[in-house]
Parts: sequence; structure tokens; C-alpha cells
Amino acid sequence: MEIKNFTITKRDGSKDQFSLDKIMNAIVKAFESVEQPADLSTISKIISHLNMHDDIKVEDIQNQVEEALMREGFYKVAKSFILYRQEHTEDRETLEKMMFLSEYMESMNAATGSKYDANANVEHKNIATLIGELPKSNFIRLNRRLLTERIKKMYGKELADEYIEKLTHHFIYKNDETSLANYCASITMYPWLIGGTMSIGGNSTAPTNLKSYCGGFVNMVFMVSSMLSGACATPEFLMYMNYFIGKEFGLDYYNRADEVVDLSLKHRTLDKVITDYFEQIVYTLNQPTGARNYQAVFWNVAYYDKYYFQSIFGEFYFPDGSKPDWEGLSWLQKRFMKWFNKERTKTLLTFPVETMALLVDENGECKDKEWGDFTAEMYAEGHSFFTYMSDNADSLSSCCRLRNEITDNGFSYTLGAGGVSTGSKSVLTINLNRCIQYAVNHDIDYLEYLGGVIDLCHKVQTAYNENLKELQEHGMLPLFDAGYINISRQYLTIGINGLVEAAEFMGLKITPNDEYKKFVQGILGLIEKYNKQYRTKELMFNCEMIPAENVGVKHAKWDREDGYFVPRDCYNSYFYVVEDDSLSIIDKFKLHGAPYIEHLTGGSALHMNLEEHLSKEQYLQLLKVAAQEGCNYFTFNIPNTVCNDCGHIDKRYLHECPICKSKNVDYMTRIIGYLKRVSNFSQARQEEASRRYYAHAEK
Amino acid sequence: MLKYVNTGVVFQEIPDEVTLAINISGCPCRCPGCHSQYLWEDIGLPLNTEAIDDFVSQYGNDITCIAFMGGDADPVSVNMLAQYIHEEHPQYKVAWYSGRIRIPAMVKKTDFDFIKIGPFIRHLGPLNKPTTNQRIYRKTPDGDFEDITERFWKKT
Repeated sequence: MEIKNFTITKRDGSKDQFSLDKIMNAIVKAFESVEQPADLSTISKIISHLNMHDDIKVEDIQNQVEEALMREGFYKVAKSFILYRQEHTEDRETLEKMMFLSEYMESMNAATGSKYDANANVEHKNIATLIGELPKSNFIRLNRRLLTERIKKMYGKELADEYIEKLTHHFIYKNDETSLANYCASITMYPWLIGGTMSIGGNSTAPTNLKSYCGGFVNMVFMVSSMLSGACATPEFLMYMNYFIGKEFGLDYYNRADEVVDLSLKHRTLDKVITDYFEQIVYTLNQPTGARNYQAVFWNVAYYDKYYFQSIFGEFYFPDGSKPDWEGLSWLQKRFMKWFNKERTKTLLTFPVETMALLVDENGECKDKEWGDFTAEMYAEGHSFFTYMSDNADSLSSCCRLRNEITDNGFSYTLGAGGVSTGSKSVLTINLNRCIQYAVNHDIDYLEYLGGVIDLCHKVQTAYNENLKELQEHGMLPLFDAGYINISRQYLTIGINGLVEAAEFMGLKITPNDEYKKFVQGILGLIEKYNKQYRTKELMFNCEMIPAENVGVKHAKWDREDGYFVPRDCYNSYFYVVEDDSLSIIDKFKLHGAPYIEHLTGGSALHMNLEEHLSKEQYLQLLKVAAQEGCNYFTFNIPNTVCNDCGHIDKRYLHECPICKSKNVDYMTRIIGYLKRVSNFSQARQEEASRRYYAHAEK
Repeated sequence: MLKYVNTGVVFQEIPDEVTLAINISGCPCRCPGCHSQYLWEDIGLPLNTEAIDDFVSQYGNDITCIAFMGGDADPVSVNMLAQYIHEEHPQYKVAWYSGRIRIPAMVKKTDFDFIKIGPFIRHLGPLNKPTTNQRIYRKTPDGDFEDITERFWKKT
């Protein structure tokens, strides 16, 4: 080996002067550690095997030393050297974790501090949230390994390599890689109603009265959520509650809600008893949860109009042989919404995320007028919830991000509650902006290129499904085995992000126009084609415009670093540009209307941002607009004001607290589906929220 | 000839309606402190029955009301367009935001469902201040006009 003046590249990428002494020292130490003599000629012989060049990496030098030691027959020394290297690697990892630890402590909030999977669902940072953050990188490594091993087995090494290549170059993004559990599910609670929590590893028996139902419900949701990485929807929550109230106080209980039913000194009315249970359940489920890294559970509920109720629960029977009572449920749904809306002026309550399911006729009028009116009334009273509308009761938005096609899946209560027990097993997201720019810059037809990426995603998802099946075969997924979720009704989800940005790159105007529509349909239609192609008895795929709570920010950052056209710091999760103030409210409904969303079988929620609340009549008209345009899933979003000084919560969007006149106010808004304080979002998301255009009407 | 600069879908101007507001230029009122000074000049596109038809095909049944914001230089044309909308597109209500103190005699008020009158006077404030000089009226089923200005004050 010729010793010259050259540099080496250290692990952190910095350069250093090459030093033969350091290498010799390391070798000598390795010899000493196994008490073998190391004379100069042995050392020089080993060094003579080394092939040095300018900018060589430290890792490469060490690899060569290992090989040289073995070639000269010093196996024991080589082993010691390898162990020494391993120890240092572990040291470095610990050091990195310590650095992360101190950075996390210094960061402004938990979402900004989170390195891998920021989530605004954590209110405060503390020792519990920190404990949740630390193993995230290990989970990512483990998940990648599990998946690539399976891909290799099923499709060969080349595809496994391509997956990692596309992943590390940010063409695709694997959501929730920091968790082992499958993603989100809308569960049926029927197995719990019949047998308690034993079948999923708990020790409680079936609920028998209102008290045990409400107490047991909370525990059951906690248990289910700890086996999911995302949301847990309980669409039957109020229906079962109505059943137990009816059993205890009579089916017509709602006509006697003012009666005193409590013999204690409190003399509570029936209404107070019911709302006290609401309070117990809602406040408990909004608590940070130990099993979920101090996040609250992601709890969703649904409300139905009469027609939806009939189509979903028409064939349902309770264990005592009775059928659900619509009149009671209708009253209870309204009572819960009114109570929750009022409670939110006292406390910032994120959960449950609520979805109202309404059936509309061909003219866009709600078939159940009473519930259409009530929906508009609740919006006018400032309540924030999602509305799902359909002109046939074939589908239902059961969790915040999923449409499940009931007719498509068959509908049967023999297994529990049929169409209710659905969800998404795993989400794999395509960064459309990067994919399309890459294709165009390399003179490739972008649809052809996307076709390759989409095909890869389907194979990866199929491999994921095999891993999940293996977990199930070993009894690791009791939610499936016990019938809370039906695995064959669970989707594998292809997520999309950066659609608007890709369209802007193609020079399209982001307004309701034919060219943009064609662009959207071309891409989403292609994904749907593959979704159908890969569908089997046990595999179902859907496509979703993901909320991209942190992916949108990451994609923008990575793409900008790699020299792509990036028009904003956070990719949109809508079909329109969120800060564009030239689009009217009607335009936004059009851009989330039937022609745009028809291939989005996994859903996309229009978050209609308004600066001020509208009247009930105006909301009624907008419900009609949504139905006419075919926008089936939306919410109205008016930032609520929270005073940081006196704690007053106001449903309006104000710059000054109306009570104490303080200008130190914060806002609650829905950026990613969950209503949270803006200051709990990660820094980049906070900036997006402040740029967002709230349509205002006052001239 | 009436010209308009832009349009917008608005909610606060006309209570309980989803309104397409047409911002008409060439405003002769020139109120000191006007928030829309860009409408003083004679600029924009012609506002005639064809333009109305275009809006109708664009918005269809998504809107419930069409409002003329201004047009005081040519009130007869505004009246004519209001008539046209009621005859050809009877599903819409028609509103007029005028800056005049009173509606000229040659205008048939019953061609409108909502009329707002009054210039902007800074110290009295806009429509949503209880001290305002401006008034907004809604046509009742028997053809009278009721003052509904108070509805704008509750929210402030």
C-alpha cells in the first residue's frame, strides 16, 4: 500500500486527513484484546492488503481491515475487531438517541419534536410521549425488514430492492411505519355485546345494564385501539346505548327525560343521568392513553338518518331478540350532538370525530327531512362534524377516511354487523408530484411511469397482507378472530399526495376546468384499474387522498431539496389550492364533486373553511349544493377561538377574547380531520393553517 | 352600459341565501372611506342578459340569489336585468345593493326581493353597526318591504 496525502470521509460526511497511525493503533488494540503478540511485520503485512483511495469511507477501511485480518489467519483478532466495531455502532446509536432526547425536550411542542411520525393528537410533551418517540426508528427498520423479506419470497430480490429504492427516494411513503399494528377499523361491538372482552384478552363479561355498558365501552375501546395504529370507529355506540336505556327506563324513555330517576340526594333527571354517561365516556376517551404513547385513542362515531339506519341496522337483532328502536335512537343522537357541542365550549374535546350519514334524492334533497334540517341546525349552532351523503345507501363513511361499499361486500349480521366491520389494513402513499416530475424530466409518459409505481405498491401491499395473515394464523390478531373486524372486508389502501402540485407542474389551472378534470381522472382512474386488477377473494384495494398531516410537509421538503418544483411548504390534501382566495365556495364543492372523487374509493373529505358561521337556511342550501355536485364527504370548518389568558372558548373566529379582551388567543381548527388547537400542530402545519384562506363574506 | 369587475359567492350580504354577488363598476357614489374604490372606474366586462345566462349555466341551482352590487350610474339597466332574471330564471331571488339614499322613481321596486340603500358614511359605520345609516329591506309575500337591517347587528 502506498501512503499518500489524502483524505477520508467520516461517518457524518465530513472529511479528515488520512492517518496511518490510527489504523495501526486500532489493529494493535485488537491484537492486545485477545492477548496475541503483534509485531511490526505482522501489522505491516495486514496493512499491505489495504487498498486506500482518496475520500475513502471509514466504514470501507474497517471492512478491509476485517478481511485482511482473516486473510492472514488471525480469526480471533478479527472477531474482536468486529465486536469492537459493533460496540461503537451501538454507542453511536445511543448517542443519537441522547441528542434526539435533548432536542425533543427543547422543541416547541410534541408534534414538532417528533422525528418520525408527528401527530397533533398529542397535547403535551412529557416523559410518556418521549418514551413513545424513542423506539420509533427501530420499528421502522423492523417493519421494512419484515416487508422486504416477504417481497423477496413472493416476487424476488429485485422488487424488494426497488421498493426500498422508491421509499428512500421518496417516490412512495409507507404510512404508520412506526407501528406494528394494522391501521384503522370500524368495528362491530356485537362480539362484546354477547361475550364481553374475554375473546380479545380482557376479563369482563358482557354488559348487562346501562352502567356496565358505559363503563365497559370505554375499556373495550381502549383495548381495541391498542391493537390498531389508527382510528377506531364505533358506529353502533349510540344504538347500543339506546338499547340499554330502553331496557332500564322503557322504550319511550325520551318522552320522560325530565322525570327524576335518581333516588340519591342529587335527584337527577333521566336526561341528566344520560348526559352524565356521555360525560364519563367522552372525557375518559379523550385522555392520553398509556398503551398508545400517551396519545388519546382515535375514536369515531356515526349518526344516521332514518333511511341509513334502516339499511344498516334493519336486520339487526339484540341478544334479547328485540330490534333497534329508531325513535329512541333518533332522540339519543340529537341529544348527544347537542350535549357535545355545548361541552366543547367548556373544554377542548377532540373525540369522537362524528360523521352524519344522510341519504339524498335525485334532486339533492335530504330524504329524511327532519335529519337534513337537524344537520343544518347543528352546523348553524357552530358544531363541527363531518357529513356523508349518498343517493343510495350503498356506502357509508364509517371511520373518518373510509367509504365502504356495503352492497359490494355483502351485508349480513350473522357475522356480527356486516358492513360495519370494515377498515384499512395498511396505507402506502404515492408522491404524485415527484413521480410525475421525474417521468416528465426523463421524457417518459407519466401515466406509464405511474403505472409501474402503482403496480409496485399493489405488490408491496399484497406482501404486507401475507405478513398480516401470518400474524393472524399465530393468534396475534384477536380483533379479527373475535369478529370485531372481518379481515376480508378490510382494505389495503393506496394513498395519494401531491396531486395539485403535480397538476401545477403540468401547467394546469386548479379550477373546475376540463383539462384539470382529465388530469385527475387519468391518474385516479389508473389507480382504480390496478385496484380492480389485484382484487381477489381476500384482497381489496381502495384509493384515498390522505390527510397527510405530516407527510405533506415532508414530501414538500424532500422534493425541494432534490430540485423538484415545489409550489408550497405543505402539499395539499384537497383538490384545490388551500390558499387560493379566487375560488368560491361553490367552486370548491365542484372540485370535490363527482367527476373528481369518483375513483377515490377510500374517500377524501372536503374541509370547507369559513370565517364566519352561516345561517341554518344557508347550510341547508350548501347541503343541497354538495348533493348536486356529488361531493359526498365534507365538513365546515370555522376556527373556534380559545383565550390563552382566561380560557374562554368561543365558537367564532375572533382576534380578541370577548370576555377578557386579551389578544393572546389560539384557535381550534380541523387541519387533518381532528379538531385541535393550532399550537399543537407541528410548526409547518401551523404555517399552513395561517395561510389557509377562510372564505369570508363581509365586504 | 353596465360593466362588472368580478363576482363572488357570498353569505353575509343577504340573510339565509347563497348569493352570487356581481360587483358593478363605474360607481358614481364615491363615498369617502369606500372599501371598494376599484369599482369607481369604468372598467370590466359588459353586464347584460348574456352575462346573466353565463352565470346561470355556471352556478345552476347551487345559488339561490343574484345580487347587483352597485350600478347606481344606470339604475334602469339594473331594473331591466332584475326583470329578466325573474322572467327567465324564476328560481332565483334578486337583490340590489345601492349606494343611493332612495331608489329612483323609474325603478320598479317589486322586481327585487332584497334592496339595500344608503351611502357608506364613515362615522355611522357599515350595515353591521347598529349606528349605520344604511338599510336593507326584504320583500314580503304581499309586495311590501320590511326593514331587516337588525339581522346584521346580532352577530357583532
